[in-house]
Amino acid sequence: MKRLLIFACLALAAMAAPQQFQLNLDSVAAKASEHVDVSLNASTLQFAAKFLDANDPDEAKVKKLLVGIEGIYVRHFNFKSAGAWSQADLEPVRAQLHGPEWSKIVGTGSEDGEKAEVWLRTSGNKSVGVAIVATQPKEITVVNIAGNIDLETLSELGGHFGVPKVKPADKPKKEE
Amino acid sequence: MDWLEDELRRALAREDPPDGFAERVMARSARGPSGARRWLAAAAMVVVAAGAAGAWRQHQGYEAKREMMLALRLASTPINRIQSEVRGITQ
Amino acid sequence: MLTEVETGCDFRSLVLRHQATVFSIALHFLRDRATAEEVAQEVFFSLHRNLHQIETPAHAAAWLRKVAVQRSIDEGRRRSRRPQVALADVAEPAAGIRPGDPLLSELLRKLVASLPEAPRMVMVLRYQEDLEPAEIAAALEMPVATVKSHLQRSLALLRGKLARRGVGESEWTG
Repeated sequence: MKRLLIFACLALAAMAAPQQFQLNLDSVAAKASEHVDVSLNASTLQFAAKFLDANDPDEAKVKKLLVGIEGIYVRHFNFKSAGAWSQADLEPVRAQLHGPEWSKIVGTGSEDGEKAEVWLRTSGNKSVGVAIVATQPKEITVVNIAGNIDLETLSELGGHFGVPKVKPADKPKKEE
Repeated sequence: MDWLEDELRRALAREDPPDGFAERVMARSARGPSGARRWLAAAAMVVVAAGAAGAWRQHQGYEAKREMMLALRLASTPINRIQSEVRGITQ
Repeated sequence: MLTEVETGCDFRSLVLRHQATVFSIALHFLRDRATAEEVAQEVFFSLHRNLHQIETPAHAAAWLRKVAVQRSIDEGRRRSRRPQVALADVAEPAAGIRPGDPLLSELLRKLVASLPEAPRMVMVLRYQEDLEPAEIAAALEMPVATVKSHLQRSLALLRGKLARRGVGESEWTG
């Protein structure tokens, strides 16, 4: 039985979500053992920002980051084994990023099968959105951030929120 | 055993922090917030005082915040990996 | 119900038991004693706030290691620079540098500190904490294959840099 984690938009926020491209990845979800959907439009983000703790360094950084962001849309998938998905599954997303308003600003890959691409959406001379497509053999993450985002500050938040959940069975390697 | 790995273990052996470190930590911790239990108790009192409707709105707010933090965490991890790769290439 | 002292999870004893580990992870990653102490203090301060979540001494050790890694990496990014190898600043090893020479240890510490962020922390966890690749992968939330790749590439890089400085096994034999 697949474990399905879905985080839906909150009912109190308007459902209309100005994503800048369609994150239609149902075929990927069908192959995934877990998936996470997050869609947060501007009013939800403004509401959530009120609950950020200005005394917490990470949350203060997030508060600053949110200025200018109009929406955050994330699809994240985990797979039981490598080979469960292929790059062709991401073509519906990539095809939309070949439009004139998008330009790819960086792409990296490693011999371990990790790939990541970042596209910037512009309107005139202004940056109005970012798309991130990141893949590993057993994981896919697709992100659209609408608005003006500081990627440097975003990267500083990388996975380090709050308290790590460490299983009690974890053992120290060396005796203290 | 490989000589370089031996030397790395020697070079990266644990070192004690400066004298008095533990005392400084204890002193600072005693000054700071007194722990999650007291924080949780204070938060519960705030919720009760604000009334049921306010409590629901607050719950929704924290839920929204949790989802937002999750979204940012998922977005920031690949950006961070890209930065590491780029720095590795330019080394 | 056992008290914190009875479970071995009282704050003071955790600080005393793990201060060298936490401080050293920050020190070897950041190469700055004052900053390493600040980071280490923050880690223990965080432990104090979350002590109620710690279930066993082993859990505490793993928790502290993970938070020390995270805070060190965060601090490294805030400083927005990597310590430079600056080989010109490193004293030329005296002819005949041998295993166990403190100059070699110092050179290795500087070379490790000049690695990019991810392989640098992999090396610290491997050679300071003696963690296996799977444990490092869990601590850093990266695939095991990536950990192994970082280890192999970093060792090869260090060997090359040392050989160019006339330091290596081939220089010692014969």
